[in-house]
Amino acid sequence: MHELSLVQSLLEMVDELSLERGFQRVNVLRLSFGRLACVDPLSLQFAFDVESPGTRAEGSKLVFDILPGALYCFSCEGEQKMTSHELRCPVCSGTQVILTGGTEELKLMEMEVD
Amino acid sequence: MSTKVTVVKNVLDANDRLAADNRKLFAEKKIFVVNLMSSPGAGKTTLLERTIQELRGTWKIGVIEGDIQDTYDADRIAALDIPVVQINTGGACHIDSNMVREALPGLNIDNMDLLFVENVGNLVCPAEFDIGEQMKIMILSTPEGADKPAKYPLMFQSSTALIINKTDLLPYVNFDLEKAKRDALILNPKLLIFEVSCKTGAGLEVWTRWLNEQIRVFSGR
Ligand SMILES: Nc1nc2c(ncn2[C@@H]2O[C@H](COP(=O)(O)OP(=O)(O)OP(=O)(O)O)[C@@H](O)[C@H]2O)c(=O)[nH]1
Ligand SMILES: [Mg+2]
Ligand SMILES: [Zn+2]
Repeated sequence: MHELSLVQSLLEMVDELSLERGFQRVNVLRLSFGRLACVDPLSLQFAFDVESPGTRAEGSKLVFDILPGALYCFSCEGEQKMTSHELRCPVCSGTQVILTGGTEELKLMEMEVD
Repeated sequence: MSTKVTVVKNVLDANDRLAADNRKLFAEKKIFVVNLMSSPGAGKTTLLERTIQELRGTWKIGVIEGDIQDTYDADRIAALDIPVVQINTGGACHIDSNMVREALPGLNIDNMDLLFVENVGNLVCPAEFDIGEQMKIMILSTPEGADKPAKYPLMFQSSTALIINKTDLLPYVNFDLEKAKRDALILNPKLLIFEVSCKTGAGLEVWTRWLNEQIRVFSGR
């Protein structure tokens, strides 16, 4: 649901950047976020298709870098990639773990512009 | 020929900047702001009613109510004779820092120590939007199930305290209290957890005493 607000903020950011850096059109927007950050790529794409016409980002391609969930396991003494939403070590099933990645918020990383 | 431009900026940068302005204003006015979040019906308004009764003798309190439509929650607060402003989120599933800023003229912030913002009932979106609060507090109620921390990690991660409400229903609902607490602490090892029932009043004193202490430290009084 908040994907609409995210897209509106993204389009405003593109507008500001176009003034700062002097470009007319955006061809590619590269975005990154954590897999557990509750950002849904399909909703994001849908909101973008609805909101972008008439802006500098109209017709731009969205590329998503989705960062994996990660846990530090105190039994294995190492970081493990999460394979599900379960908060336990995917290797030893231990619950002595802390979350170390996956909730990074939505960032605009890079653009390809004309 | 297309050129590459490196940006690396939070998409909610504009919201975050406005939230920083709000936070500065609240610091100047010495207002302790609590952003209260939960799923629909977990007990935000009920907890506010009970907390206000306990703290109103000590602090001047105001409330901002975020609701998608009606003014039912705002009416419940107004019935306590507490200043309240209803934010119309216009269908949005969260409150953002601009909505808070626009609600402030409806409150007498020169004469206020504690401001509660009841966010829209939703476990996902509100956690993303900083509004300039001093702390985020979330409620999880026992009928919702103990799998919520693992499914909605962001809110647990960004909250200072978790209130597990409706403990009076523990004998009737299938809620694994230990698992909920363990998972919540995996997401956020610093999270404080309070177990309360807004119905029976169990655990509320520990919660209000803790909150009172936080405000005291913040305001230097
Ligand atoms: N059994 C029980 N019921 C409770 C408790 N706390 C709240 N309730 C009930 O739960 C229902 C929802 O409470 P509210 O305080 O309106 O919940 P809310 O989070 O403000 O709901 P929204 O604003 O609609 O998202 C009401 O019927 C309350 O009476 C509790 O500790 N135990
Ligand atoms: Mg409510
Ligand atoms: Zn392990």
